[in-house]
Amino acid sequence: MVFSSLMFLYIFLPVVLILYFISPMKIKNLIIFVSGILFYAWGEPVCVFIMLLSTVIDYTAGIFMNKFDDNQKKRTICLIVSVVMNISLLALFKYSDFIIDSINAIFNLEILNPVVRFNRVINSVFNLGLNEQRVDLPIGISFFTFQSMSYTIDLYRRNIKVQKSFINFSSYVSLFPQIVAGPIVRYEDVQKEIDTRKINVNMAADGIAVFIKGLSKKVLLANNIGILWTNIKAMDYSEISVVTAWLGILAFTFQIYFDFSGYSDMAVGLGKILGFNFPQNFDHPYMSKSISEFWRRWHMTLGSWFKSYVYISLGGNRKGLPRTLINLIIVWALTGLWHGSSWNFVIWGLYFGVIIIIERIGFGKILEKLPSFISTLYTFILVVFGWVLFDTTDLPSCFSYFNAMFGGNGVFIDGNAKYFIITNILIFALCIFGSTDWFGKIISKIRSKNNAIVEWSAPFVQVILMLVCTSFLVNATYNPFLYFRF
Amino acid sequence: MKPEIKEKIKRNLPKMLSFFFFFGVITILPLMTIILPKKEFSEIENRVLSKAPEFSFSSVLDRSFMKNSESYFADHFVGRTDWIKAKTQMELLTGRREINGVYIEDGRMVEKLDYPDYKTILKSISAINNFSENTGLKTYVMIVPTSAEFYSSSNPNIDQKEEISKIYSELSEKNIITLDAYSILNSNKDDYIYYRTDHHWTTLGAYYVYSSTAYDMGFTPVSLDNYNIEHASSDFQGTLYSKTLYDGVKSDIIDIYYPTSGVDIMSTDVYTGKGTETYESYYFRDFLEIKDKYSVFGGQNQPVVKIKTNALNEGKLLVIKDSYANSYIPFLSQHYSEITMLDMRYIDVPYDEIINIDDYNQVMFLYNYSTFAQDKNIRKLDF
Repeated sequence: MVFSSLMFLYIFLPVVLILYFISPMKIKNLIIFVSGILFYAWGEPVCVFIMLLSTVIDYTAGIFMNKFDDNQKKRTICLIVSVVMNISLLALFKYSDFIIDSINAIFNLEILNPVVRFNRVINSVFNLGLNEQRVDLPIGISFFTFQSMSYTIDLYRRNIKVQKSFINFSSYVSLFPQIVAGPIVRYEDVQKEIDTRKINVNMAADGIAVFIKGLSKKVLLANNIGILWTNIKAMDYSEISVVTAWLGILAFTFQIYFDFSGYSDMAVGLGKILGFNFPQNFDHPYMSKSISEFWRRWHMTLGSWFKSYVYISLGGNRKGLPRTLINLIIVWALTGLWHGSSWNFVIWGLYFGVIIIIERIGFGKILEKLPSFISTLYTFILVVFGWVLFDTTDLPSCFSYFNAMFGGNGVFIDGNAKYFIITNILIFALCIFGSTDWFGKIISKIRSKNNAIVEWSAPFVQVILMLVCTSFLVNATYNPFLYFRF
Repeated sequence: MKPEIKEKIKRNLPKMLSFFFFFGVITILPLMTIILPKKEFSEIENRVLSKAPEFSFSSVLDRSFMKNSESYFADHFVGRTDWIKAKTQMELLTGRREINGVYIEDGRMVEKLDYPDYKTILKSISAINNFSENTGLKTYVMIVPTSAEFYSSSNPNIDQKEEISKIYSELSEKNIITLDAYSILNSNKDDYIYYRTDHHWTTLGAYYVYSSTAYDMGFTPVSLDNYNIEHASSDFQGTLYSKTLYDGVKSDIIDIYYPTSGVDIMSTDVYTGKGTETYESYYFRDFLEIKDKYSVFGGQNQPVVKIKTNALNEGKLLVIKDSYANSYIPFLSQHYSEITMLDMRYIDVPYDEIINIDDYNQVMFLYNYSTFAQDKNIRKLDF
C-alpha cells in the first residue's frame, strides 16, 4: 500500500489509528506488527513471507548473540549468519537478474535464474501466477534488510541491547510508516521507543503537520511536475530543443526530490502520531554548496548507514590516503547499486564517488572560497547531470539526452518548449521555492512577531491541503474507458 | 480553573484543532462513502463503475482483490465528481492546459494526441495493401485529422497533415485511391466542423468532406440545400467533457441531415456479435435523451452494421472504420444500395466468417488519425 492513496488515507489509517489509540500500551506493538504485515501484504501478498523470514532470522541471531555473550567466536557466527542471510535475500530478489544477465552476456551462456526456476515449480503446483520470466522486486527489500542488519551489527558492536520480545522486534521491522521507502530507521534510533513511548495529542498534531506537508509534496508537487518529465522523456531525444531537454531533467530533479522527501516526511509524521521519533532524511539538499554536502543532506539515513556499516568497517580514512580513496570508491559503487540493479546506477554512484574524491583532495577548499551562489550552482548542476544518468533507460539514450542539453540538435527553443514553460511555470516556481529553506525562514520571522497567527492558521491550512490532495487522488484513478462502447 | 491550566489549554488549542480536523476528515469521508448508496454506471463519466471486489485466496495472492478494492473505493468515493471538477479547476489555475489527456483551449476542448505508434501504423498499412490486393476490390482510404490539428495551441508536435500524407504515400497505388479530408476541413476551420466537448467531427464537418471527396469516389455530391437540418440536441457534452468534467465550454449541438429528395435508408441491421437486429431508422433517437448522444448515429459501436437503401444501383460498399464513420455514412447512403460497416475493434474472428467479400464492389477505410495511429485491430484483416 502507498501513503498517497485513498485506500491508505481513508480506510487503513483511520482503522489502525483508532485501534492503536484505544488499546492499552501492552498490545500497541501487536497492533503495529499486524498492521505492518497487512500494509506490506497489500502490495506484496507473496513476498511478505520474505520479510517475515528476514525478521525471524535476525531476531534469532540477536537472541543467540546475547546468549553467548562471553563467546566472541559464536557471536561472530551469529552476525555472519544474519548479514549473509540479508545480503543473499537482496542478491536473490534484487540483483540476481542483473548478475545472471551480465554473466550470460559476457560468457555467452544461458543460465536460468534460480528464483525464476523456483517460481515455475511453485506455479506448476499451486498456480500462484508468479513471474516466470524475471524476478519481481519485493517492495522495500532494500530498506527492511538494511534495517534488520543495523540491529545485528549494532548488537555485535555492543551499541544496543538485545530485544527479547519477538513482537517488539518484528514491530520495529514492520513499522508501517517506514517499511517501504524509508527513512532507514536503525534499531538504535528507536530502541527506547519500541519498549515504551509516550503518545499524546500534541505530538500527534506535530506528526499530522509533517505528514500533510509530505503528502502535499508528493501529490501536489512531485506528481504534477512529474507529468512534464513523463512527456519529455517519451520524446525523441534527437529532435528536442535545448530548453526542452533542460526543462525535462529539471522536472525530474524536482519530482524525485519531492517524491522521496515527501514520502520521508509522511513516514516521520506517521511515526510521530504513533509516538516514534524517526531520524530526518532530507535537509534541503538542493541548497548544498558541494557534492559532499549534498550527500550529507540527501537521503541522510542511507548515507549514514553506509558510513557506519561499510566505510568505517573498511577502515574509513584511518589507513592512509590510497586506502581511503579505495574505500570511497567501494562505498559509492555500492550506494549506486543500492538504488537499482543496473549499470546506470553503478555509474551514477561512481560519478558522485569521483566528484567527492576530487573535492576531498583539494577542490573542496577552493569551493569554500567561492561566492555561495557559484558553489550552489556548481553542486546543483552536477546533481542534475547525475539525474540524467539515473533516469534515462540506457547509456546510448543517456548520451543522446546530454547531447540535446548542449545544443547537439541545433535548436535552442521551439514551440514545445514554450508551451511547457507557460503551462508549468507556476509549478516550477513552487518547486524551486519548496526546495529551499525560505518558507521555514519566513514562518519563523512571522512567528517571532506574532506566534498566534502561525499557530492558529496551521490547522486550517492543513485541512485545506488534505482536501486538495484528496481531490487529486480521487482523479488519479480516474481513467474513463471511453472507447468501450463508442 | 487555575490561570496556568487555562493558559496551557489555550496554548494547546491549535494543536488539538489540528488533531480533530485530521481525524474528522479521515473518518467522516469513508463513513459517508460506505453509507451512501452506490451507483453502477456513471452517466457523467460515461462508464461502468467498478464492482465490489470478491475476496478469495487466489484473488488476494494475485493482487486482483487489492486492485479491485482500490478502484471500487475510488469509484464510489463520496462526492466523486465534485472532487474531480475541483481538481480540474485547480489545475487550470496553475496554468496547466492539459487535463487528463485533454487540452482546454479557448472555448473548446481538444483531445491530446499520443505519439504515433509507427510499428502499428506500418502493420495497418500492410494489412490494407494486402486486403486490397487479395480481394481485388476498388479501395478508398480516408484518414481524417482530429480537431487538434486546427485548434490546438498546445500540441505542436504532431503534424497530422504531414503524418497522413506519409501514410498515404505508403499505400499501394494499384487499387487504392486516397481521399483528402484535410484540405477542405482546413479551409472551413472557422465553421462548426468539430464538436467542442467531444472528439468527433460534427455532421457539418462530415458533410464538407463528403462534398469535396465525392468526385474522387465517382459521384456528384448532394448539395447542402437539398437537406433539412434538424437540431436534434443542443446540450451534448461529449467524451472530452467526460474526461475533464470541465464546465467552462459550451455544450454542443447535434445536427441530423435529412435529404429532402433522393435516396432513403430503408433498414439498419445491427450485428452485436450474438445476433442481428433490424431497425427501420439509422438514427437511434433514444440516445439523445442520455449522455452518449453521438450514438444517435447508427447506435453504439458494434461489430457489423449494415444499411440498405432504395437507391437504384447495384453499388455495395464495405466500410472498415471507427466511430468517425457513423455520422458520415448517411451522406454516402445516397450513392449505394447497401453499405456494411465493420468495426475491427469488436471483431475477433477472420472477417470472412462474418461477411462474404464477394457481395461488395468497393471498400473504404475511414478512420480519424488518432485511432489510425494507435489501433492494433486493423491488422486483423491479415488473419
